[in-house]
Amino acid sequence: MTWRQFLFVLPLLLLVSVFSLYPIITSGVYSFFDYQTNDQTRNAMYTGGHLNAPLFHEDGKYLNFYLKKDLQLVDEPGQATIAALQADIEAAIEPYAQKKEPITLPQPEEERILAVIGEIRQRIRSLEEAYPGTELNISENADTLLKEMETCIVGSNFIGLKGYQRLVGDTRFFAALRNTLVFTVISVFFELIIGMGLALVMNRSIRGIGIVRTVSLIPWAIPTAVSALIWTYLYDGTSGIVARVFTQLGLIASPELLLTSAGGTMAAAIIADVWKTTPYMALLLLAGLQVIDRGLYESASVDGAGPMRTFTQITLPLLKPSLLVALLFRTLDAFRVYDLIAVLTKGTPETLSIYAYKVMIGQGNYGYGAVIVLAMFLCVGLIALLYVKVLGAELMND
Amino acid sequence: MTSLATTKKTTPSRERLNPLIWLVIALFLFVMVFPFLWILITSFKPGAEIYGRDTAFRLIAVNPTIDNYTTVINKGILDAVKNSVIVSLITTLYVVFVASMSAYIIARFSFRGKRMLMGLILGISMFPQMIIIGPVFNMFYNLKMLNSYWVTMAYSTITLPSAVWIMIAHFKRIPLSVEEAARIDGCSQWQALWIVIFPMAAPGVFTTAIMTFIAAWNEYLLTLTLNSDKAYHTVPVAINALRTQFTILWGEITAATVLVIIPTLIIVLLFQRQIVSGITSGAVKE
Repeated sequence: MTWRQFLFVLPLLLLVSVFSLYPIITSGVYSFFDYQTNDQTRNAMYTGGHLNAPLFHEDGKYLNFYLKKDLQLVDEPGQATIAALQADIEAAIEPYAQKKEPITLPQPEEERILAVIGEIRQRIRSLEEAYPGTELNISENADTLLKEMETCIVGSNFIGLKGYQRLVGDTRFFAALRNTLVFTVISVFFELIIGMGLALVMNRSIRGIGIVRTVSLIPWAIPTAVSALIWTYLYDGTSGIVARVFTQLGLIASPELLLTSAGGTMAAAIIADVWKTTPYMALLLLAGLQVIDRGLYESASVDGAGPMRTFTQITLPLLKPSLLVALLFRTLDAFRVYDLIAVLTKGTPETLSIYAYKVMIGQGNYGYGAVIVLAMFLCVGLIALLYVKVLGAELMND
Repeated sequence: MTSLATTKKTTPSRERLNPLIWLVIALFLFVMVFPFLWILITSFKPGAEIYGRDTAFRLIAVNPTIDNYTTVINKGILDAVKNSVIVSLITTLYVVFVASMSAYIIARFSFRGKRMLMGLILGISMFPQMIIIGPVFNMFYNLKMLNSYWVTMAYSTITLPSAVWIMIAHFKRIPLSVEEAARIDGCSQWQALWIVIFPMAAPGVFTTAIMTFIAAWNEYLLTLTLNSDKAYHTVPVAINALRTQFTILWGEITAATVLVIIPTLIIVLLFQRQIVSGITSGAVKE
């Protein structure tokens, strides 16, 4: 490639790098850390020791605040002791006054700070012992504050493969994986069967068959988040007509079960998905059907082959490449389902995407969330590999 | 790939169908259309009828009303439509531009790493979008790009791969000789692309634009996560925000749904041929 040609591809490479490759690599990095944005000691990735400098400084200020109150409660030598202690605390926290973020902490520094905290604790205790009858303000608060100052020293939150270890034992993850697989397999199965039938019908030259194509494009074209909302209404326990019809047909015991029971939500999600994406499947298969030479069908019928035999001996083998592509696209699409279930039931049945989103965005646990999405990534890779190997078509040849 | 419409026209004989297939087609059409029909019916019902035991399932409202429509318009549903138009247009413009340049190089030249580049593009179209959400959120947070139209840049993940794919298929159909003639006349590669190839591939460009526009219009996850501010909500997010914690006002939601589906309906009716071509581009080998 010449550099001029490279310039043509550069914008694509930039966008892909920033919004696809960088996030994937970053997720990989996240997965090795106990990285949680709603926990002060873990809200970044620390490979070495850290000091939560702002909090450390604030705690020191509070210590001095209570000590100042105590100045009026003690005699003159006591006042001198307190003043000296105050000065030392001030000296200990002063270096961190301007810090707004946690700072890195080398090992010797960490030991020095722990020693200083220990010394302050000791001196406060001696102060208490010197004035046994007096209720000092500092006595009430010193323990909590000093303990918090100690926790300001944060160790590394690098956990290596522990996140992956947790995943292996995470029953919620495997339940989500099972839900995702059940949803994917059943949805894609029905989409394939109905889509194939639809494609065969659309492939025939019937007057007005174009309207079938037009109509079937509409569910595909509207946003999933909107169609899911429409189905939420149709499934509604009190006003939903589909829920009512299903109840009257005896498919469900009572109308509200569709959006509340485990089996109900799964069925509801699958029906809505089949409704929306079967036309897409049908169009992909139809395109495959139309490149099959019609002469082959004529020869088959001259040879006396029935419709069933024609389908299995001519249509299916020649349709295989299109079938593979359609199945692969639909399987991967169903596997990452999010919008549909997030809107339909606010997250049941819990699929992998739903679980990952709850952990990452809901709980702010980016570390473990990354582990889940990387596991999803692996599954997607395996599915793609499976299709290409088992069905043996060449996607990439050009 | 032959266009679906032309195949239909060139087939001389019209088949006679048995009634069973007609019945199946009718049933299919009914199932496809019914949800839309039902929300249209509901959108004109007053609240009492939607929740009433006897009136909830009536085909025609007893006291039809357009209150639901005025309410959702007052709640700013049209602002969401405006946002969706802005976001989808920005995405379409830059994606078509970027995809054209890359597709031109991929379709016309052979170079080292071409297979890898195509594999990368295909791979990105397949991976779960969920994988980029966390890092992209952090990136937008650190760069103070949350709650802005910068979200359209993140849309490249969901739109760019298929756009490049469709463009490659269409650019390949333009005979090499046309471009060679242009090069002999002194066109640079840049001019050859924009003055010769791009206009000749106009149908393909248009298909790409439509597909990108629809994908951007339908996007939910990225806007939900990156643009929590109501002022930047697009249609899919805004319409779901109409649901409140405890009650769901179906009258308003169905009215809003009818309003926001209209643009999609228009696009489908006007451009169905391009959409079908876009869906099947690359799926069938020529």
